[in-house]
Amino acid sequence: MYADTQNDITRQVVRVAQLLLAYGAESDLVEEISQRLGKALGLASVEISISSNSLVLTSLVHGRCITTTRRIREHGINMTVICELQRICLLTEKGIYGLNEVRKRVSRIQPKSYPKRYLVPMIGFSCGSFCHLFGGDTMAVLITILAASVGMSVRLAIAKHHFNLLVNFAVTAFITTLVAQMGYHLQLTDTPKLPMAASVLMLVPGFPMINAISDMVKGHLNVGISRWGHATLLTVSSVIGITIAMQLGGLFL
Amino acid sequence: MMELLLKLLNDAAFSAVPAVGFAMVFNVPRRFLPYCALAGALGHSLRTLLLHFGMPIEWCTFAAAALVGVLTIGFAKKHLAPPLMYAVAAIIPMIPGTYAYNTVIALVQLSAQSEVSPELTAEVISNGLKTIFILGALSVGLAMPSLLYFRTRPVI
Repeated sequence: MYADTQNDITRQVVRVAQLLLAYGAESDLVEEISQRLGKALGLASVEISISSNSLVLTSLVHGRCITTTRRIREHGINMTVICELQRICLLTEKGIYGLNEVRKRVSRIQPKSYPKRYLVPMIGFSCGSFCHLFGGDTMAVLITILAASVGMSVRLAIAKHHFNLLVNFAVTAFITTLVAQMGYHLQLTDTPKLPMAASVLMLVPGFPMINAISDMVKGHLNVGISRWGHATLLTVSSVIGITIAMQLGGLFL
Repeated sequence: MMELLLKLLNDAAFSAVPAVGFAMVFNVPRRFLPYCALAGALGHSLRTLLLHFGMPIEWCTFAAAALVGVLTIGFAKKHLAPPLMYAVAAIIPMIPGTYAYNTVIALVQLSAQSEVSPELTAEVISNGLKTIFILGALSVGLAMPSLLYFRTRPVI
């Protein structure tokens, strides 16, 4: 294998690993996919070291090593991209894709997301279902749906302007709690506490937390801890938003 | 018996909605959304069933998460997609949101007071421990198939 071919293959493999991490895959999956893809494209071995915001990848073939580093910027979770990359890896392993097809498919990946008009009502109904499962009455469920929908549209609007995620969570939690307090002030429901608890559940960083624990269980301790720290920070910032809204509404103190 | 069945159905229906909603936030492709809903509904109703028999919530959650893990590995093999894609959306209804909420609200109240009150401290500790153990049960339960069966080979 010529040196420039090894360069090319390594670049594609590290690009795949970078995309996987940026769109929220767990470390074990990243390691597995990049090693399998590298082997399928003809490398003897691929070693990868992942830290919280960068990755280092070394490819070895015919006694020649190439090491390369990539910076990772979080882009939010997008399972469509991860699914597509996994498929590319499997098809390459079966010998259907060569290096050129892999390059073409990887460069064509676009992170598509669902349009706002579906997301906002779906999150509203999701939080409404939480409220129902916790035992809220009909008015409480309706308040939750309203609060969560308002909160989700605020969250998407802020995310569109590329604000820091922590700022986004704090502001969203603030506005969601302001709306959800309605039950207390207007005496609409017998279970006024439930809408407040249920409507902010859309801010629970479920994916980072599950990724964090599953990384730590599978031995990627440093990535797991950094993801856990990120999830904790997100929770704390939404708590700050909730607290300010509750104090404005005079609900405690 | 009939009552239990109705409760389980209610549970399944209302946990399928958040599973789909959060799957959309995570941008799961549209053709996989029904599978997320199915896994979420089955997992949550198993947990409710076990809770009905008086098991502690941590063990119920663990069993339900293990069921979701096994189910999603089946889906993943069928569609050649990563199993975590279905699994995380499916376990969202079981995330201990209220426990976490009560913990942090009690924490904030505790810090706003000038003295340490035993009631608030007790609430922080008990709710916080529940949150941590339920979260641990969820993700270890999910990882169960790959810890027990797929130790040395990849899932797909």
